[in-house]
Amino acid sequence: MIPELMTALPLTLVITFVALVAGFCLALITTTLRVVRIPILSSLAALYVSYARSVPVVLQLFVAFYGLPLLVAIFGMADFFTPTVAAMLGLSFYHGGYLSEVMRPAYLAVDRGQHDAADSLGYTFRQKMMGVVGPQAVHIALPGYGNALIYLTHNVALVMYIGAADVMATAHLIMERAYNQYQFETYLVLAVIYSIMCLIIWVIVRYFERRSPMYVPAVGRAKRVAMPSL
Amino acid sequence: MLELKNIKLSYGNTQVLNGVDLSVNRGDVVSIIGPSGTGKTTLLKCINYLVKPSSGTIAFDQLHMDYAQADKKAIQAIRLRTAMVFQQFNVFKNMTVLQNVMDPLVVVQRKSQDEAREIALRELDRVGLSAKRDSYPSQLSGGQLQRTGIARALAVRPDVMLFDEPTSSLDPELVSEVLKVIKDVTSSGITSLLVTHEMQFAKNISNRIVFMDQGVVAADGSPAEIFDAPANPRLAQFLQTELAFH
Repeated sequence: MIPELMTALPLTLVITFVALVAGFCLALITTTLRVVRIPILSSLAALYVSYARSVPVVLQLFVAFYGLPLLVAIFGMADFFTPTVAAMLGLSFYHGGYLSEVMRPAYLAVDRGQHDAADSLGYTFRQKMMGVVGPQAVHIALPGYGNALIYLTHNVALVMYIGAADVMATAHLIMERAYNQYQFETYLVLAVIYSIMCLIIWVIVRYFERRSPMYVPAVGRAKRVAMPSL
Repeated sequence: MLELKNIKLSYGNTQVLNGVDLSVNRGDVVSIIGPSGTGKTTLLKCINYLVKPSSGTIAFDQLHMDYAQADKKAIQAIRLRTAMVFQQFNVFKNMTVLQNVMDPLVVVQRKSQDEAREIALRELDRVGLSAKRDSYPSQLSGGQLQRTGIARALAVRPDVMLFDEPTSSLDPELVSEVLKVIKDVTSSGITSLLVTHEMQFAKNISNRIVFMDQGVVAADGSPAEIFDAPANPRLAQFLQTELAFH
């Protein structure tokens, strides 16, 4: 059972990775549009974020799977639209919208004074974002980003509903082939696989959190003590 | 050297600056005093365009700019000739003390790492922070943070230093270390504009005092004229309150 599940793992990882990268790019563009406030474009970005956050992920996958082929058929590319491609696009769309709401508050949380200091010294917008505001926003966004990655990993399990042969779909295949005799064992193995994937993500994000200069604690900061209850 | 004319600015329905005129000569140390909320900090921020006045003009030697038609090139030229020290320090939190002072030199002025480092170390030595050069802002006291801000401002070799209430956010025992550094800077001949509530300090280091009230310059003169014989009744009342408090 485990070797067969492992053969499906690469597809799960590829879908996750593509959604992670494409979603990040989408989130970056969306956040920029929302922060810079360009008429119409900013409203469209807000509409997209609202859709990505409010519609259940499995519904977004159905929309991607059944809706997008109609759209690309205009260009004669409907054959290109396999369940795997639909899964990648649907999850990228979801992850981009979700992540944008991690990035935007992180950007806004950077103290206004940091902008003022950089502006007063003659930094251009790009220099300010790359050297001063960006790194601080990244530090603030990291815990939320870690959560977004974990949610994405969980949601990849939903791609089986549109026919992509990921580990979840393969697990169902194995169980049905054995007349549903080993359901608990199969789900347990799946749980371990997802736990390991999420643990790796958590360790990587935590590493970057600790590396961030703002993490350095203040000298002489009092030890945190629990407030005694009254 | 620096001339501001008819600067007007409002935040919503609140008119903060009501037509400010101010001229500063090279080498002047001008202290701007006045009650809170009268537009002192806002005026300072107008100079380097951190806030946008609704009208008025600025002349910086040969450079003229009408705020109603401000262009990026002129704004950048003014910013490169001024340096600001902030009330809340605004030291870059993601950089060490040394990086804070070096970064504008490398990124904005395109100096080499070696040259920037040399200048930064010299300025840090000047403000007495050499030993803290590898510390992050979260590891420093308020006074040290402000001295880092001053070193960063000095390192870019500005024609005009803008001090925005540099000691207002400090504990009383940390004020003197910052005032000492500011005194050293202003006595070196660099043109400075200082917004402050430290009346005695302003009297000692300035050659001109500007009193702002209700968004305009209400009095302008030498420290002796302002402090010893205040002609303006609002100024007299303000000084009485401030000096009694301190």
